[in-house]
Amino acid sequence: MASVRVASRLLSKRVLPKTKAISTQYPVVDHEFDAVVVGAGGAGLRAAFGLSEAGFNTACVTKLFPTSTNVLSLGNMEEDDWRWHFYDTVKGSDWLGDQDAIHYMTEQAPAAVVELENFGMPFSRTEDGKIYQRAFGGQSLKFGKGGQAHRCCCVADRTGHSLLHTLYGRSLRYDTSYFVEYFALDLLMENGECKGVIALCMEDGSIHRFRAQNTVIATGGYGRTYFSCTSAHTSTGDGNAMVTRAGLPCQDLEFVQFHPTGIYGAGCLITEGCRGEGGILLNSEGERFMERYAPNAKDLASRDVVSRSMTIEIREGRGVGPEKDHVHLQLHHLPPQQLATRLPGISETAMIFAGVDVTKEPIPVLPTVHYNMGGIPTNYKGQVITHAEGKDKVVPGLYACGESACASVHGANRLGANSLLDLVVFGRACALTIAEEHKPGEKLSPLAPSAGEESVANMDKLRFANGSQRTSEIRLNMQKTMQAHAAVFRTGAVLKEGCVKMDAIYQTLDDIKTFDRGIVWNTDLVESLELQNLMLNAVQTINSAEQRKESRGAHAREDFKNRVDEYDYSKPLQGQEKVPYEQHWRKHTMSYVDPKTGKVTLEYRPVIDNSLDEQECAPVPPAIRSY
Amino acid sequence: MARHSKLQKQVLVLYRHFLRAGRDKPGFVPRIRDEFRENAGIKKTDVMHIEYLFRRGQRQLEQLRDVNTKQLGSFSKPADKS
Repeated sequence: MASVRVASRLLSKRVLPKTKAISTQYPVVDHEFDAVVVGAGGAGLRAAFGLSEAGFNTACVTKLFPTSTNVLSLGNMEEDDWRWHFYDTVKGSDWLGDQDAIHYMTEQAPAAVVELENFGMPFSRTEDGKIYQRAFGGQSLKFGKGGQAHRCCCVADRTGHSLLHTLYGRSLRYDTSYFVEYFALDLLMENGECKGVIALCMEDGSIHRFRAQNTVIATGGYGRTYFSCTSAHTSTGDGNAMVTRAGLPCQDLEFVQFHPTGIYGAGCLITEGCRGEGGILLNSEGERFMERYAPNAKDLASRDVVSRSMTIEIREGRGVGPEKDHVHLQLHHLPPQQLATRLPGISETAMIFAGVDVTKEPIPVLPTVHYNMGGIPTNYKGQVITHAEGKDKVVPGLYACGESACASVHGANRLGANSLLDLVVFGRACALTIAEEHKPGEKLSPLAPSAGEESVANMDKLRFANGSQRTSEIRLNMQKTMQAHAAVFRTGAVLKEGCVKMDAIYQTLDDIKTFDRGIVWNTDLVESLELQNLMLNAVQTINSAEQRKESRGAHAREDFKNRVDEYDYSKPLQGQEKVPYEQHWRKHTMSYVDPKTGKVTLEYRPVIDNSLDEQECAPVPPAIRSY
Repeated sequence: MARHSKLQKQVLVLYRHFLRAGRDKPGFVPRIRDEFRENAGIKKTDVMHIEYLFRRGQRQLEQLRDVNTKQLGSFSKPADKS
C-alpha cells in the first residue's frame, strides 16, 4: 500500500513537481479562523452566530445545507416554575444526568423561549396571544405531585423545522463563513489540544484545513446504526467518530432512545405532541394499555416506559396487523378541527407514509430509534472533557453541543422536547464560554505542516478500495445486527453475541469495495467514510450495553431488571450500607476504540449530583422512578 | 488565428483574476496554472462542461479572495514502486 507524504516545501511557490513518481495529489487549502463549528443543525447554527455576534471570525463547516438538516422534536420551554422542570428532567434521566448541567439548562429555558420569539420563531398562539403550550411526556407540576404540566411551547407540530429556519434566517445577519457540502474528516489534534478540523470539499474534491483556536462539534446523533430509525440518512455520528479517532472518550453511548411512535415500516416520526393533544395507544383488543403500565401519566409517561410497554404488548401477542408486530395510535376521537390546527404535519405524514386518514383510522406505530442520549462528554459550559485520576479534565480548544454532546442533561433517558432546549441553550453556552476564555483575533498556535495526513491517507484508501464487500452490504449487516441485538429489551447472551458479530463486521471494513474513483462529488466515498463513523459508534454502543448490568432509563436488561445504585432506593435508607463505586452502576460509561482493531475499552466516571447553586435549586436525591 | 469566443474571453478574465488573487498567498499560482492548463483541452463546443467549470471556478475564486484563506499545499501519494 502506498504511503502518503506531505509536500516538503509547503511555503515555497512551487507545489511538488508532477513527476512520474507521484500517482495522486490532493491539494490542501489552509484557512484560519477564530472559531470553527462543525455541523449546521440547531446547535451548530446557534453556536455559530453566537460566536459571530461576540466578534469571533467564525467558520461553519457542514456536509448539508443548513435548513436541510434533520431537526425533529418539540421545544420544551416553560413559563412556570423551572424547578419543577428541573425535577422532571432529573427524574427522566433516571438519575444519570449531571444535575449542574440540568440546572443550567432548565434555568435558562424561559430566556431561551423569549430569545427565539425575538428571532421571529412563529410559535402557535392561544386566543389571547400568549404562546400555546401543550402537554408532553414526563412533564409534571409540583415535583411530580401536581399532575400533567402543559409547558411545551410549540409551532403546530413542526417546531424543529421552524427552529432551524428561524436560526438560519437570523444567522445570515452575521458574517459567519459557511462551508456547505464540506465533509469533516477529522480533528487536528496536537499535544492533546484541538487546533482545528480537516474537511473534504465534496464539490471539487479539495482538502481544507480549518485552523482555529476553538472548535465546536455539533454534528448530531447516529440513528443510522440501526435498521429502523426516525433519523435522516445523514445521521451518522461523524463528530463522535472524530473524537474517538482523536483518542478521546465518548460517554453513555448505550443509551439509545426508542421513540414510541415511529410509523410501522417507514420509520417516520409521529410526534409525541399527538399524545399530548389526546391521542391514545391501543392494542389488538382495543384497550388503552398504557393505563396498566403507567396509571398516572398513561400515554404521556416517559418515552422509555411507553416503548417498553408497547414492546411487551406485542410480545404477549396483543399486537395489531397481520403479523401482530405493532400497535395503533388513535387520533380520530379528537375534533378534526384540533387535528387540523395543532397537528397538520402528522396528518400529512400519516397519509403519505402509512396511507391512513387520521380522522378515520388509527396510525400503525412501533418503537423506533430516535435519539442518542450519549455522545461527546462535556461539562455544563460546553467544554469537552476526559476523565483521568478521578478528575474531569478539559480538552483545550474543543467544545461540543446538541445531540452529539453529552453534558449530560438527558442521562439515561431524554424527556420529549428537552432536545430543542438543549440545542439552543448549549449552543449559546459554547459561544459564551469561548467568549469568556478567548478574544477574537488571538494568534493561532503553530501547527505541524503535515497535520491531517492520516485522514487524507484513510480517505485515499477508501477511494481506491477494491475488496469484495460493498459499502451498502456492510452497512446493512451492521444495521440488522444492531436492531436484533441492541433493541428496546436487551439480554446478556444476545448482547454478547451482538458484540462478537459487530467485531466481525468491523473487520470487514478492511475488505470494503468502492466503485467511484473520482474525487468530485464522490458519494460512494462519502458514504464509506460515514460507514466508518457509524461503525465506531455501533461498537461502542453495543459493548457499553453488554457491560452495563442493570436497567436504567432507556437501557432495559431482561436479565438485570433493576437499577443498581449506591443504595437501594426502594427501601428506606436507614441502616443501608453504601455500595462501593466499582460495584454499582450509577455512573457514566466512557468508551474508547482503537480504530485499527475495533477493540473497545470502557472506563467510568461519576455522575455530578450537585446543582450549580444549592440555595437556588436544591439537587434531587435519587428515588424510584415511576409514572 | 480565430478570435476568442465570448466564453473563451470570460475564461481568460477568470484566469487573470485568479492569478491576481493568488499572487500573495503561497502555493496557489502553480496549481491555478496546472488546473487551467489541464482543462484547456476541453473542446470548444462542450459548452455545458465549460460553463460548469466556470461557475465552480467563480466560487473557488471567491474563496481564494477571502481573507481567511491562507495558503495551498498538497499531500501526495507516491506511485507504487512495485
